[in-house]
Amino acid sequence: MTEPLRHPDIDWAALAPVLTLLGTACFVLLVGVFLPRGVRRPFAAFFAAAGLVAAGIVSGILFALDDEATTLVRDSLARDRLAELGQIFVAGAGLLAVGVAYFESRGPRGDDPRVAEDDWRERVVEGYVLLLTAVAGMAFFVQANSLITLFLGLEWFSIALYVLCAINVHRIAALEAGLKYLIVGSFGSAILLFGSAFVYGGSGGLTFGEIAAGAADGERLFFAAGLAMILVGLAFKVSAAPFHMWTPDVYEGAPTPVTAFMSAATKIAALVLTLRLLLTAFPGEEELWTIAIAVIATISLAWGNIAALTQRSVKRLLAYSSVSHAGFLLMPIAAGNALGGRALLFYLVPYAALSIGSFAVVAARERELAADVTLDNLAGFGWERPFHAIAMAVFMFGFIGLPPAGLFLGKFYVFTAVYERGWTWLVIVGVVATVVSVAYYLAVVRAMYSGSAELRTAPAGGSPPRDWPLTTTVFGCLVLAVATLVVPDPLVDLARDSLAFLSFPF
Amino acid sequence: MMGPGIASYLVVSVVLFSIGAFGVLIRRSPLIVLLALEIMLNAGNLALLAFARHLGDGDGHVFALAVMVVAASEAVIGLGLIVAMSRLRVELDVDKLTTLRG
Repeated sequence: MTEPLRHPDIDWAALAPVLTLLGTACFVLLVGVFLPRGVRRPFAAFFAAAGLVAAGIVSGILFALDDEATTLVRDSLARDRLAELGQIFVAGAGLLAVGVAYFESRGPRGDDPRVAEDDWRERVVEGYVLLLTAVAGMAFFVQANSLITLFLGLEWFSIALYVLCAINVHRIAALEAGLKYLIVGSFGSAILLFGSAFVYGGSGGLTFGEIAAGAADGERLFFAAGLAMILVGLAFKVSAAPFHMWTPDVYEGAPTPVTAFMSAATKIAALVLTLRLLLTAFPGEEELWTIAIAVIATISLAWGNIAALTQRSVKRLLAYSSVSHAGFLLMPIAAGNALGGRALLFYLVPYAALSIGSFAVVAARERELAADVTLDNLAGFGWERPFHAIAMAVFMFGFIGLPPAGLFLGKFYVFTAVYERGWTWLVIVGVVATVVSVAYYLAVVRAMYSGSAELRTAPAGGSPPRDWPLTTTVFGCLVLAVATLVVPDPLVDLARDSLAFLSFPF
Repeated sequence: MMGPGIASYLVVSVVLFSIGAFGVLIRRSPLIVLLALEIMLNAGNLALLAFARHLGDGDGHVFALAVMVVAASEAVIGLGLIVAMSRLRVELDVDKLTTLRG
């Protein structure tokens, strides 16, 4: 008499966003191969965008339906509003990246003399499929509710990103970026895995609930060491200093649309999950992790801002700016209060819009010049492409934290949350960092509107190539950035709803 | 059945992890660096299995199996990148990969 095979009860609805993205990826990959070259790009881009929109809508429906938090697949995945909001955010970041990537091209030739043209067109299907896969991995990652799914989700989107960075296989810089990201990223993942093993040993469980429950009677040393290593592993992904050393190189070498996507989506996914992990698995260790994260945030703010001051390459400058914003984004988690959670979720949206938008403008200039964009060759941009330059100026002012972008409110929320925790010193660090950042953000704006008198009258090198998907994306980012300042209430409400099920230690 | 206690396994896994981390930090050939990364991941696996046996719990074994799959896919990507670089005749030395620097 054999026992009938018990099959686990799976809540397919909760997996629907991830499955939608994966299904679209498979469809685009399989069908794209059979299409003639000319239509591959519109086909892949259209279905990538459609898949991302569909996944976002599914997550939105689930968000509306789910009043309370549940788990599925033996507690290893969560179904709650935090996960669904995270999925909407990463799908949105992916959608913006689709537009930036559409006409990606880096000039006439790569580094390989045998290749006539280094063009994204050759690998456009694979590129969009990898983008979808990366978003699917992030959607899975923000749902993670156990250390196994956390590690799997992290590696899932990371591996897709390693390949995306190196997708222009004829450019040495792209390959170098891919390899560096792979080595440093895997180093971080290995530390995270080792930490997970120790947390498992210290608590006797792998799901976040079991970890929290088993923390009291486990080996305290294992538990604390494991938590520290997991934090280091996540800090590598958020590109927080001192674990940021890959960031400038990878952001510079990777194709600019990929950089745009990474800078926003990786941060969203990793920070949403960090918040969930710390609050649900380590509620008893709040003193340890709030201080650890406050220290990491301080180092990121200091290092990112100082290093950004000396950069000439605009992509490297923005990379260091993303390191410093990792600091701002970690501050509300360090605060450990409900206001901090809301501040984090609010801050992510204008930050993502500014980040993708500014890299999109860099991509536009890069295609025009067929060279890396530096502060020097940005001269005259303000007169050649007025719309892009005005958008870039708004993004730069936004990064500083000035209106007309929503980061103004975001920074305000973040500082208030930290102040409520009673850490005035951290608020001061944040304000000083903001003041320092004015110098390099304004350097970009000044570079765009500088140049000789001829530059102001006649555009150098004829009219720039038409690139409507990119222009649309820049416009979309601009609208999103400004809208979060003008009508912040819907976003604040969404953030409040998605955190209702969590309890904060402070 | 008596065997070495959990402490011995953990000591071995910490040693392996340190060897791997040291290898990533000081070796120059990207191939050896990938190897060192695999050693780090396997140190994690060993610790997971030791704890799983100690706790009498199956979840750690499942985790270790999943990690093996991930390690294999990471190695595939790493080797693919190294092959693509050698086709462009880039010298395979991580200290000389300085196209990107600022």
